[in-house]
Amino acid sequence: MTAEEVANDGNSIPMEGEDITPKKDGGVLKLVKKEGTGTELPMTGDKVFVHYVGTLLDGTQFDSSRDRGEKFSFELGKGQVIKAWDIGVATMRIGEICQLFCKPEYAYGAAGSPPKIPPNSTLIFQVELFEFHGEDITDEEDGGIVRRIITKGEGYTKPNEGASVDVHLEGQYEGRVFDDRDLKFEVGDGENLDLPPGVEKALQAMEQGEESLFTIKPKYGFGNTGYAKFNIPPGATLQYKIKLTAFEKAKESWEMNTCEKLEQSTIVKEKGTQYFKDGKYKQAAVQYKRIVSWLEHESSLQGEDEEKAKALRLAAHLNLSMCYLKLHDPNPALENCDKALELSANNEKALFRRGEALFVMKEFERAKDDFQRVIQLYPSNKAAKSQVVLCQKHIKEQHEKDKRLYANMFQKFAERDAKKEAEQAKKEPDSAMEIEENGAQEQTAA
Amino acid sequence: MALEQFSDVVQRCQAVQDEKFSPADFDLFQTAGKTCIEQGDSAQVLSIIVDERNKDIVRCMGWNLLEPIVKVLLSKEDRNLPHCHAILTHLLQTCSPKELLVGLLEQVEEADSDTIPEAIILLLKPLQTVLLKLGVRKASSVGMALSTLLAQVAQLPVPLSKEQEEDDVFGLCRCCTELLLFIRPFVEEVKENLNNNRGFSRNDELRGEILKFCMKSLSEPLLEVQLKDPDALEKSPLRDFASEILVILSSIGESLPDLLCHSVLRKREVPGFMEEEVRYPKESLASLAHLLFVKHIAMERFPAVLSPVFLLQCNMEYIELLLSRTEESRVQKGLELYEKTLVRVEDGSLPVDLLDLKTFFSVPQNLVKVMTLCPVQNLRTKGLSVFQLSIDKFNTEAKYKFFRCMLRTSEHAGVEGYIIKNIKTQIDSALRPGYGNEWFLGKHLLPLLHQVLCLPQGPETDLLHNLDRIMESLNLLRYLLIRDKEWQNETGVWSELYRMEENFLKPLRTGLNMSKAHYEAELKSAKENKRSSGTEAKAPTCTVTVGNESLPNMTPEMQLQVLQSALYTFDLMESVLARIEEIAEARGRV
Repeated sequence: MTAEEVANDGNSIPMEGEDITPKKDGGVLKLVKKEGTGTELPMTGDKVFVHYVGTLLDGTQFDSSRDRGEKFSFELGKGQVIKAWDIGVATMRIGEICQLFCKPEYAYGAAGSPPKIPPNSTLIFQVELFEFHGEDITDEEDGGIVRRIITKGEGYTKPNEGASVDVHLEGQYEGRVFDDRDLKFEVGDGENLDLPPGVEKALQAMEQGEESLFTIKPKYGFGNTGYAKFNIPPGATLQYKIKLTAFEKAKESWEMNTCEKLEQSTIVKEKGTQYFKDGKYKQAAVQYKRIVSWLEHESSLQGEDEEKAKALRLAAHLNLSMCYLKLHDPNPALENCDKALELSANNEKALFRRGEALFVMKEFERAKDDFQRVIQLYPSNKAAKSQVVLCQKHIKEQHEKDKRLYANMFQKFAERDAKKEAEQAKKEPDSAMEIEENGAQEQTAA
Repeated sequence: MALEQFSDVVQRCQAVQDEKFSPADFDLFQTAGKTCIEQGDSAQVLSIIVDERNKDIVRCMGWNLLEPIVKVLLSKEDRNLPHCHAILTHLLQTCSPKELLVGLLEQVEEADSDTIPEAIILLLKPLQTVLLKLGVRKASSVGMALSTLLAQVAQLPVPLSKEQEEDDVFGLCRCCTELLLFIRPFVEEVKENLNNNRGFSRNDELRGEILKFCMKSLSEPLLEVQLKDPDALEKSPLRDFASEILVILSSIGESLPDLLCHSVLRKREVPGFMEEEVRYPKESLASLAHLLFVKHIAMERFPAVLSPVFLLQCNMEYIELLLSRTEESRVQKGLELYEKTLVRVEDGSLPVDLLDLKTFFSVPQNLVKVMTLCPVQNLRTKGLSVFQLSIDKFNTEAKYKFFRCMLRTSEHAGVEGYIIKNIKTQIDSALRPGYGNEWFLGKHLLPLLHQVLCLPQGPETDLLHNLDRIMESLNLLRYLLIRDKEWQNETGVWSELYRMEENFLKPLRTGLNMSKAHYEAELKSAKENKRSSGTEAKAPTCTVTVGNESLPNMTPEMQLQVLQSALYTFDLMESVLARIEEIAEARGRV
């Protein structure tokens, strides 16, 4: 389609360019204004950085990243931007400047985008591509696992930990394929199947049917020890090509009625307990969490069912707190104890485990309070007694430390206090020794 | 007396070397000074503290006089105002900024709700001066000041009407305006740092404090405030405050789209990931979303290339949060945000996969609560219209799945009735030539119909309680039998009619007969009671409570009316049922 073919009522920008829509319906026309320098095109899922200026047909500028002074970035091909952009930017090279001419069907359609874009608007963008790179899928965003999508998957859900997955994977190191397998397993079990942690992280970022190439740094690969079985040396950066053929979606809570939720919860609880006994705390936690998510907001229960749900939730929170303690993750352990105590105010296990969590968090005062509550309510609990002693020891140590710290912080006040204490000491000769010591200590620290 | 004491202690202290004043001197300086100022001797106090010989004394102890001075300044006691102003100015020049900061913040905290605006407006400028004196190491002090100030401002009542905002009786508007002036130099400093460093370091502490302030302001007071549109109120200090907060956010390197998409783009739920939640509280982000999409504030800074479905996904997080609350202001904002975000989406375009997202399940659940339980009439009505809007945006398959899930989970006859009505609309549209689809005809439709056309507790089902649902079900079945001819059977209803008769029509018939008999008997005995008790009939026969509040007692007349109207309802149900049976019986004879 060229400028002559399209009715062009008095606008300042001629409609011209190459039709780049897959349907060839003329919905997105591209005109290269300046050739790019790069050789590679961005891939689906890549994070791309652009500057752009958008105008309406009558020449009104409605948006400009240049005016805002910051580049706009998005993940390509994931429907984050209007269709014309996902199609258009995918054809660009680094350094390229092009004009995209976008029909409403590929932009904001009949609804427009209030307040700036009226309904049924054709939009014209001038886009410059600056850079793109594979998507970093680590939580820390440390570039440890980078994904390039070969084939995009479908849907909005991804496998969670504990989900059962069907995959084909191919591991490469320096051009040598060291692993090529079809596998069916539960996410979290990878270690037993010679998979590095990065592969399991990668899986949890994938959609059904997706095929991607992951570059995995040693930290998420086989680390500084390497892996003899595959002949991988220490500190190796790996490449895995993974295709997620299928995964079992857990039935979502809203597809179940109350009865089903209670039934499923009982089943899942058994499953969790089995994992726990096998020492698979992460997987166990996944199961217990499902109970919480199913029953937490179930307000319509009555009578026997209500009791049953309450008991299940209590058990789930108690077991979760145990799992997290085993995993040395005191924050969620604490949260779960709190939840359990909401359900059962004086629960022995909940109090004890909260004490343990607080202990790990070095909150010894509060830990001690919990253990003492346990002793008060359940005098036969010997473990709590020894915990209290342990807490007291730590509190004392911490106290000494704090004193030195505060002495530094409030130099002036400490000095003044020292003077006061010195004066008092004169009045109270009995306790003079002790106070003198304190005063002296503070002054030296200051 | 106090004046003598004051000049005594100052004189005594003149002799002290190296600022080693005793605690007793501190105490006396403070109490005597305070009394002097309270008694109106501020002119004398001024002359003492400006005395060059007393410089060291004032530097060390002067900040103790802030309290009485601020009291005088706030009371606007004419005679002493100029002296106290002069003392304050002198203290600000002389004393250590750290101690002044503590003293000034104490005064901000002391203010009670009547004096908050005056105190804040009086103290902001001195606070700013003191903070700027702290130089590069002021970040945490600025943070402390901002959080103290905001905590006080948040206590002020929020203006509701346009007039209230114009009058600003409680001073919220003035405080907000002043706060913006207060924060300006600090924002400028952060901007300069950003420009010098080309790109920002997340560790710029001052930047962090300003971010915290903006986030806090978004939730309190801004989430409480219903901003007026420019055509309703041309000059609105609160709207200016809101837009300035968003401008500050983007100028300190927090891009608005990144903030909005924050929770969707974060890879996945990180359990116990406290820091992010503290840095970017979801409630503040919800307020941001509302300002952008409902009030169109700072929209010129928001990119116009994001897709409507993606924006919906982002905003669903905030809609979920707002609708889960019970405060009217939150619920209303949630509904507005949902509406405005949905309107951007094309009808019938949302794919079924979206329903896998947690928010697309919890938002309708919350919406049902609003529609059925919210005490405010217009929010319930609005809730219903937004609920319908959300249904309209789903594509056919998504509608199908949505209806099935809602029927399973809503547990409210009214909502179920509403869903059934929607099912009828969908079937009607699918039966039009050229609009046929696989979800609301034939194979897929039947399980949905069976879900609708049944009585959950058989003949014992409470017909009155389930009235809405049953009536809509009957209407649907009648419609199907009339609209879809038996020889065409596009919906499949004719081949499954025997099951519907078994599961729905027969138990309903039995239930109707039982209920009618029961209510007729009740009516009869009520009438007899009334007749026999004669004049005492005015005595209440039963009490009704709603939400622990007793309604006016039910008189025998009212009881009769209730029973009678129940019987009318059964008649209505029966007539539709009879019509259906009639059509069904005629089957095969055509």
